[in-house]
This record gives sequence, C-alpha cells and structure tokens, in this order.
Amino acid sequence: MECLENLFAEPTRRDVLRWGVACGAAGVLCDSAAVAQDTAGTGALEGPKLEGVARHEALFWEELADRKVKCTLCPRECEVADVERGYCGVRENQGGRYQTLVYGALCSANVDPIEKKPLFHYLPGTTAFSIATAGCNIECVFCQNWRISQFRPEQVPSRHVPAERLVGSCRSHGSPTIAYTYSEPTVFYEYMHDSAALARRHGIGSVMISNGYIQDKPLRQLCRHLTGVKVDLKAFTETFYVDHCAGELKPVLETLETLKDIGIWFELVVLIIPTLNDSSDEIRRMSRWVVKHLGPDVPMHFTRFHPTYRMTNLPRTPVSTIERCRQVAFDAGVHYAYAGNVAMHPGENTYCHGCRHELIRRVGMQTASNRLKDGKCPKCGTAIPGVWSQEQALAFSPRS
Amino acid sequence: MATQHTRRDFLARVGAAAAGVALTGATAPGCSDQPAGTNKRADKLARRVVIARDEKLAQGAVDEHRDLLRKLLNGSVQRLTGAPDAGAAWRGLFGRKDRVGIKVNTLGLSTQPAVADAVVAGLRHAGVPAENIIIWDRFDVELQRAGYKLNASKQGVRCFGTDAEEAGRGYQGRIESSGRIGSCFSRIVADQVDALISVPVLKDHNLAGVSLGMKNFYGAIHNPNKYHDHNCDPYIADVVAHRFIGPKWRLTVVDATRAQYHAGPGQSLEHAWPFGGLIVSGDFVAGDAVAADLLEAKRKTEGLESLTDEKRPPVHIATAGARGLGEADLSRIERIEV
Repeated sequence: MECLENLFAEPTRRDVLRWGVACGAAGVLCDSAAVAQDTAGTGALEGPKLEGVARHEALFWEELADRKVKCTLCPRECEVADVERGYCGVRENQGGRYQTLVYGALCSANVDPIEKKPLFHYLPGTTAFSIATAGCNIECVFCQNWRISQFRPEQVPSRHVPAERLVGSCRSHGSPTIAYTYSEPTVFYEYMHDSAALARRHGIGSVMISNGYIQDKPLRQLCRHLTGVKVDLKAFTETFYVDHCAGELKPVLETLETLKDIGIWFELVVLIIPTLNDSSDEIRRMSRWVVKHLGPDVPMHFTRFHPTYRMTNLPRTPVSTIERCRQVAFDAGVHYAYAGNVAMHPGENTYCHGCRHELIRRVGMQTASNRLKDGKCPKCGTAIPGVWSQEQALAFSPRS
Repeated sequence: MATQHTRRDFLARVGAAAAGVALTGATAPGCSDQPAGTNKRADKLARRVVIARDEKLAQGAVDEHRDLLRKLLNGSVQRLTGAPDAGAAWRGLFGRKDRVGIKVNTLGLSTQPAVADAVVAGLRHAGVPAENIIIWDRFDVELQRAGYKLNASKQGVRCFGTDAEEAGRGYQGRIESSGRIGSCFSRIVADQVDALISVPVLKDHNLAGVSLGMKNFYGAIHNPNKYHDHNCDPYIADVVAHRFIGPKWRLTVVDATRAQYHAGPGQSLEHAWPFGGLIVSGDFVAGDAVAADLLEAKRKTEGLESLTDEKRPPVHIATAGARGLGEADLSRIERIEV
C-alpha cells in the first residue's frame, strides 16, 4: 500500500524495491483478511484532504417537476429533490441540475496485481493502477471496503486527481491498466468514462470492478473505453440481494447479458457466505445460467467470506465449501472455476479446459509461472479465452 | 479519516459493556438491536403539543422578532409543563449540569437562527451554562449558509457541524445498529451531549412526506442517503430509537415562522407559508403528528393532493407511535393553541 501523494509522484528505485517486497509479503500473507481480494487498503488514505467536494455535471438523468431529477445511471432510478442526494450519496441535485460530487476525488489508490481484482484471464502477471472514490449504489452488509463505499465524499479524505494526472501516474508506474475498483465505479461514472477514454489514447487499458448495478445505456457507452470488466454476482436469489445488499438480482443478470452482447472480456466473482448462498443447488442453478446465457468460457471465482462490516455473526467460509462450489460449477459446464481468498490452493491456477494441463500457476495474488503460448495451451493447442496482450486489450471495440 | 476509533471510543465501549452487564445483564448497548425508547422526563409531557402563533411573526424578517420568539417559546414551555413561570418550566426540563445539543436543520429551508437563539435563552433560564450548549448540524458550511455564526471555541454557546475537525470530531468509527439501520453516529450526539432539542422547520419532504423533529436526526448519522426508500420507514423510527437519540431527547421546537407545504426539503418560494409560529412538544412523536397534520391541512387549502395520494405518506410517525416512542394518534393528543 502506498499513500496517494506518493502514488502520483514519480516512482523511485526505493519504491520499486518496496513494491517488490510488498508483493512477496502478499504472497506469504494472502490468507489474511488484509490482502483479501480487492480490499482498498486504508493505508492509502494519507495526504492533504480535498476541500469540499469535486462537483461536475452528471451524466444520465432526467428533469422532473418541482426541480426534482431522476437518475438513470443505475437501476435504482432515484428521484432526487433539490438539495438532496441519491442513494449512492455522491450525486446531488442542486437547483434541478444533477451533479457528481466525486469527479476526480480519489480516496484510495494502489498499484495492485491484476490478480487481486481478481482478473485471471487478463494480462496475468501485470499490475493495475487501482483507484476509487467514496460511494456505492448498493449496501452489502458484508462489504470489505465499507469505510469508503458506505461513506459520503466529505467523510473520506480524498485528493483531487485530474484524469491527465491519473493517466500520467499510471504510465510512470509501468501499469498497463487502470482499475476502477474498491468501492463502486458506477457511482463515479463520469470520471471513469473520461479518464478511461484518455487512457486508451495513451495506450493504457481500463477495467471496471463492479457490482453490475448499472443501466444498459451508460454501460454500453462506457464499454467503448473499457478493456475488461469484473462483476460480483453476489448470489442467485432475489431474496439475498434484497436482504443483504439492498439491491436486486435481475438488473445484474441483465448487465451480464449486455456485457456478453458487447463482447468485452469479463469475469465473475461469487463471494460464498456460509448458510446464505453456499448451497450446491444455488451454485448449480447459477452456473447453469452462466453457461447458457454467457457461455462456458466466462471465468467464475468462488471466494471466501470473512466476517466484516455488519455481518460479523458468521464464520469464515470453509475451504471445503469453496472446493465444492468450484466442482459444482465445473460439473455444470463452466470451463474456468477458481478458488479465491484461499492461500496456495491449486484452485487458483489456470488449467486448459481441453486437456487440464496447468497453464498459469499463482501464489496468492501473484503469477508464479505462465506457460501460455500466444494465448494457447502449449500441450494441446486449445485457444484459452482471455486477454493475453496489451495489443489485444486495446484492440477491443464493442460489437454492438 | 472522520471515523477513526479513538482511545475515548474504546474506553466508552468497555465502560458501557461493563455497565450493561453489571446493571442489567443485557447485551452491551453498542451491540443491541433493541430501541432504547424515550427518556423519563419527556414521558411526563406525553401527548401534549403547544402551537404558538403571532401574526407579527409572519411579517418582515424573522430576525426582527427575537423578543417575540423568546416570549412565545417561554409561554409554550410553561403551558407544556404546567409550571408557574418560564424559569421553572425550563428548569423542569433541563439541569445546570446538562450538556445540551440543539439540532437545527440547515438543509434547504433552514431553521432560523433567531429561533435557535430563543431556545438558547430558555436553556439559560434553566441555568445551563452557555459553554454547555451546542447548536449543531452536519456541516459547518451549511450552518454558515443558514446564517449561523460558528463557534468552535470553549467560550460561550458553541456552534459547529459534525464535520468540524476539532469540535465536531466527525462520526464514530463503529457501526451502531438500531432496527434496520446500521450507521456511524455523529460524535456530537454520541459523546458531547446528554440532552437533545430538535429544532426542525415545518416543511414538506419529497420522500418522507414531512421533514420534522424526527427526520431532523437523519443529520446525526453518516449515511442518511441509504434510508430514503419506503418513505424513509421504518428507518426514521430506527434512528430516533437509538440510545444516542431517544433517551436524550427532551424537547421539540418546530420552527414554523416560515413553513413550506410542498416541494421540500429544498426551498421553494412558490410554496412558502408564513405560518408565524412555533410548535412545541416534549413528546417527539406527538409534535410531529400535529405538525404533519397542519401541513396536510394547508395542502388541502391550496388544492394539492394529500401526501398519501402523492405516495409519500409520513408513515414514520405512525411507526414511531406503534413502537411506543410517543403518541401518533391525533385523537389522543392534547393540542394547546396559544
């Protein structure tokens, strides 16, 4: 973890060495909550505080009577009165005009392994310059990043980082990718949209690490600039989404079908929580839906829950449960099912779906070896789905 | 960060947990999901609401009527308590050692500083030292915009937002549960006051129907935006039932000098209503019930649909009543007009 001020400065030799040590430590400690997949790292919350909020005209909203507005960015469609905010807490109606309050207001920034997002079939072994602002459009009671996602921008120390500076910092750190992550990037859509477009022009890809709670139109517009997406599929029942996330399942499934239609590379993460979404039946129905609607090549990551935020009454997920879920997914026809937040587990490795040959070996969040040859299995020649070069990433354009 | 744990937090938690076990054998307050209820002093004033109006108050600037406001408020508190004089009335509600938080509302149509000053004058009648009085809301900037003079020093009546770094000290670092809410509370209500007075504005709210004494305490939690679904119900009742609010709440003084019957909570001159009065109650549910009734009546007069027809009934009042936090049934409330 690094502080924001340092991240947006030129890296020194000391930084490079420190990063190397940190990566090694992550490999050793990866069974601890501190390096669970895509935690924000509050160690980054240093540096001078942004004064006030970073106002910017919002995209995707409609005017209503009495100076109210209707937000059309996410499925929640908040109707927001003058001086009030939407559910996300970072979009505000001022006099009948809708504004984002987090344009470039970064509260977290880290150079992470891309595997930490997790994206396993996207430039393995590279880093992602990972950023976030405050805010989220749902509320998962088990959120591991709740200290930024469930707070409003004034409550979280932030720095103002224009898109140009973000792209420059990413380049100077040698990361091929910007990851919009930790909290919910949908709520800082405008900044993500603009900086991803700029990054693309500078040869840098952009991935969105999201809950998938976004409407079709903004998603399609955004994907013109993205090069990859990871979506949390929290469960496969409406009840779970309503009771534990203050959201709905259906819009998330629609997002996944839209991503399939667009043709962008994406992977799924399912956080397995004991007794709540860990039944074989639910995982089977989910996996079958994935195979039928998205295809067998979409990787599914089954990750371990650890008690946090408002869900501290349940134990950590047993490793055996993760292994069972992974097997259920394989049995349903999923080609790439992974174990997540489990240290040194063979389920973190990538195996050819044609011949089961080990292709990529991972240790914690790091890629230890990569035997892929031009995106193919060196043993049987099967093409492995994914994004294996920066050229391939940047060549992506939506097919619809 | 605004929510860091402090040594004081830790000690408070340990102390509270120990006290909980020693005195009741119950779960520590921070872990409890049970509403804490109202305080005993307020219980004596249950089901009684005073509506004080004066035509002069509807004229000119509210700030010009400071003496009149004090007189109206003192008279209201006297009627409310049945005390022989204003001093005795205020002393019946507040003690010399109380640290009192006056929660004003500065989002959109705001509590008039002159009304907050009248409340301060009442507290001084009771012998509450000026330094023990805090006028507060969420943000310094909103207080200033509403005409309040900030005072984060330790001299005189204090006035600051939760976001004031030295004085307000942000929000607590842990999540407090109450019913269906999970929030970090302002350190002002958690640590700095023993008694609360809610001083909202008589105004409409586009989701909750009305924004009055109870809704005012959405300004005490870090994440009010999460609790606007279902007309803010049952979330408003959940917030005020919490141990930091309900047991400390002694008085509601609704600023009805300049009300708004539609298009709230933002200010809409088109729907302004110079009511020229105050609505005072020691029963925070009854106070809101009567104030909401007045707003509904005004809407009818203006030819507007009822809040229910507009799909934003103030159901949180009934919910709070059903939970025993106060009286929501208008037929059981004693309405005193002065």
